[in-house]
Amino acid sequence: MRLSILLALLLALASPGNAEAGSPLPFERGSWAKLRAEHAGQPTVIHLWGLTCGPCLVELPYRGKLVAERHDLKLVLIAADPVPQDSERVEAMLKNAGLGDSESFSFTDRFYERLRYEIDPAWAGELPRTVLIDRDGKTTVLVGVADLGQVRAWLDAQSKSPR
Amino acid sequence: MRRILLGLGLLLIAGSAGAQHHHGGGAPEAFTATPAFAPDGTLWLVRAMADRIVVAKSSDLGRSFSQPVAVTPEPLKLDWGPDARPHIAADAKGDLVVTFAIFQDQRFNGRAFFARSTDKGASFSRPQPITADSTSQRFETVAIDPAGRVFAAWLDKRNIAAARAAGRGYPGAALAYAWSDDGGGSFGNTGIALDNTCECCRLGVSFAGPGRPAIVFRNIFDTSVRDHALITFKDAATPGPLKRVSIDDWKLEACPHHGPSLAVAPDGSQHVAWFTDGRARKGLFYARADSAEGPFGEPRALSSPDRQPARPYVLTADRAIHLVWKEFDGAKAVVRWQVSPDGGRSWSATRTVADTTDASDHPLLVAHAGRAYLSWLTKAQGYRLIPLEDQP
Repeated sequence: MRLSILLALLLALASPGNAEAGSPLPFERGSWAKLRAEHAGQPTVIHLWGLTCGPCLVELPYRGKLVAERHDLKLVLIAADPVPQDSERVEAMLKNAGLGDSESFSFTDRFYERLRYEIDPAWAGELPRTVLIDRDGKTTVLVGVADLGQVRAWLDAQSKSPR
Repeated sequence: MRRILLGLGLLLIAGSAGAQHHHGGGAPEAFTATPAFAPDGTLWLVRAMADRIVVAKSSDLGRSFSQPVAVTPEPLKLDWGPDARPHIAADAKGDLVVTFAIFQDQRFNGRAFFARSTDKGASFSRPQPITADSTSQRFETVAIDPAGRVFAAWLDKRNIAAARAAGRGYPGAALAYAWSDDGGGSFGNTGIALDNTCECCRLGVSFAGPGRPAIVFRNIFDTSVRDHALITFKDAATPGPLKRVSIDDWKLEACPHHGPSLAVAPDGSQHVAWFTDGRARKGLFYARADSAEGPFGEPRALSSPDRQPARPYVLTADRAIHLVWKEFDGAKAVVRWQVSPDGGRSWSATRTVADTTDASDHPLLVAHAGRAYLSWLTKAQGYRLIPLEDQP
């Protein structure tokens, strides 16, 4: 009993931390490998977007709706602007789109060629871009504004696939 | 159970440390250096710093530079777009013209300015808008034609208002231009060469003759196909017909931030290099046309798409045509180089002429006295001017 109260207390303490998760973390050399390792074995959706990408900003609120609707969605947002952006503006944009609580990164290393290469050597930097990573680490890339129906279908398939 | 608690405690610490605000990314900043040779062999370099434009000169081919002189008297919100840069041109008398753009708002509406120096770069006139219309100008570039007349071209959104008033949309921006008849002291009326071109890519400018600019740009075909096109002026006030460089079929409702490059050779042949991610081809390509009127030949791939080939630049120097671009080899950004001795019909093997292990500007080419040079600003090594041979 005391233990469960303590657990609840710990979780309550944890929530302000979660609310802070919308602040973008610096995405630097090695961040991609770290991110992949942290999400290993979990189906994860990586959404590459940018403040300087008009269609990305139009699409973002739909991503926010999807997060609210699908609790099985592990979404990671990476602001991949070729020129590092003000992190407060990145954060505000995500909050407005209902993505304030999602795990989020922002390119802060100006050596963007290297960051892109680490994510995918064949990616020339076009945004938006969605990378679906399944339990086995297999990736599916959706180029441009994603058909969220496709993302839903992928999530459905993940929940059915054996753990 | 205690172990679980301990685990949770660690998670909290890790979580709060990991979720701290990151204040590293302040206002975005430009990182560019654009060169021009004066006829006397002085190398002029214009740089976009955090909030100002400065000019420095080198009399020893880039080995040493003078103290930079500020072109902009007070801090400005410069256009930091990944394909934007200030430009500089030097005329036969040694007078200089600098152009640059600022952001007017957070929706990427720009304002292009010019400033002139008539005292060999010791001081610059107060920057003036290049055009009276204040809607938006970006990707301005300045060049001097073979007769010594100063020409400027840029992307301009002035025609959006009229389209909206008529209940129509207006994709992209117009390709605009103006001439200066007083060596860059002022610019004349703005002409619109073409409406609805892609709004976010640099222009490539060269000359088919006196008063005859040729401009290559990313156009918008069929409302959303962002492929390249070229216009060669018939005379100073008459833009010629649109000539498509290639059908790449890059359908995109976004900004590639990745413009083309153009060189017109003394024999009138046209040489274009560009990036595409189209359905018909992906990566970097080069194509040539025999003349301003002739069609472009089959595009030739310059690299493989998994090396992130980017930012091509083409230039003629004496009889040679030089081509450079940037690639990433897994550890370093490298500048690759090819040269053609026969007007772009055959090309040398590709060679790496410079590399860096950190951020870098686009590789640019500049020529003086028949010799081409790579001009490259890198974070790790600073600015470099590297001479290119006539053959590898």
